[in-house]
Amino acid sequence: MKIIPFWGCMMPLKYPQMELAIRRTLPNLGVELVDIDDFTCCPDPIYFKARDKMKWLTIAARNLAVAEETGLDIVTMCSGCISTLKEAQYLLAEDQALKDEVNKRLKRINKEYKGKVKVSHAVVVIRDDLGLDVVKKSVKRSLEGITVAIHYGCHILKPSQIMHVDDADYPSILDDFVAAMGATPLEHHEKLLCCGKGCMDDELPLDMTEAIFSSIEKSGADCMGLVCPTCFSSFDLGQIMISRKRGKNYNIPVIYLFQLLGLAQGLGPEEVGLHTHRVKADKVLEKIVG
Amino acid sequence: MAKKKVVVNFRFREKLNKIPGGKHHNYCYQCSACVAVCPAARFSKEFNPRKILLQALLGAEEDLLGKDSPIWLCTNCYSCYERCPQDVRPIEVIIALKNMAVEKETAPTNLAKLTENITKTGMSVMVSSAVHRRRKELGLPELKTIPLDEMKEILKDEETKEQSSIEQKTNK
Repeated sequence: MKIIPFWGCMMPLKYPQMELAIRRTLPNLGVELVDIDDFTCCPDPIYFKARDKMKWLTIAARNLAVAEETGLDIVTMCSGCISTLKEAQYLLAEDQALKDEVNKRLKRINKEYKGKVKVSHAVVVIRDDLGLDVVKKSVKRSLEGITVAIHYGCHILKPSQIMHVDDADYPSILDDFVAAMGATPLEHHEKLLCCGKGCMDDELPLDMTEAIFSSIEKSGADCMGLVCPTCFSSFDLGQIMISRKRGKNYNIPVIYLFQLLGLAQGLGPEEVGLHTHRVKADKVLEKIVG
Repeated sequence: MAKKKVVVNFRFREKLNKIPGGKHHNYCYQCSACVAVCPAARFSKEFNPRKILLQALLGAEEDLLGKDSPIWLCTNCYSCYERCPQDVRPIEVIIALKNMAVEKETAPTNLAKLTENITKTGMSVMVSSAVHRRRKELGLPELKTIPLDEMKEILKDEETKEQSSIEQKTNK
């Protein structure tokens, strides 16, 4: 299966270990990544959208138009990118006047958004197009007994009428993904709480991150597993911030689920960039790699 | 008890209606379903999406667009959008209000910093030499080119666009 990866900004520039994990694991599932020029930032669904929603929509429509020209589906690995691109598609389909206005701007660069491109997220492609059996078959190293507290993050699920990914209240897509790798997803109380990153305040995001970690701590999970780079920043660097500002040490490693998939496929920790994380994963890696 | 006179600022509401997502504020019937699922409301007494919608319905510009406006405490989690029985999409109304605050120059100063990279470089994260080095260390391919000119062209406002074409003509 050929797909066009839409990398966005956070993964290639801030957390390249995530891009690395994707590039190493997806080919093992039979996916060929066709990189193309010409994408910009999606743009981000929090700050840039807060600054100017119309410009946010225009840039998103340009990215969609670029993808449309290729005739292939685009696949994002970032919850922020999927949020922006899917919502832009929804708004442009819902409001013809808005679409005309955006296309008027795109015409300046000889582009047009028609509304034909399919935008998806890698975990959705795996569940719906490839099937989880393909994941199971790619496993070379057992993750049996490894417990993962999953953090869904908001943007991949909500609003469900736009995202069409899963039930926003009782999601299972990431749990099933982790189970297919052979690890055990663990329930915890704050599994669906927002990481708080989008809130423009110093303390509130830390309160929310802390609530999530104290819930995970009680669950006894070996690590936290997620798919959102923004949540990752709240939790990896966030644990250091909480330790510094509030004197609490959770020491729960945060693992991007494609890094975990890489470990299950037999890759070494450095091959999926786990050495770049602030909160070291040594303890769980000892269990996995030995 | 003396009755307080309520004045609705319709001019403000008309302005809000014109921003994408803004007009949905009209559908709010103040049921508070959004408050029940809002994480910012759970962790902060200052933030209440139902109250923000009421203020929008009243056109309470000073409360909503002042420097101390609670709108910036929104976590952008979309729970209110998910839950609202009236399709108000409270988060989208709040984002429209943020756009108005930016125009009024009352938005938090770090918002400009958090977004300037996109308009300057096309990416939200700075493409520094450290980025190139880290990617090389991990064995990742060179970054693709970013079509900054195209992005700048579609972001130009009509007036400046005409201006620039006039400039081009005179240059010729």
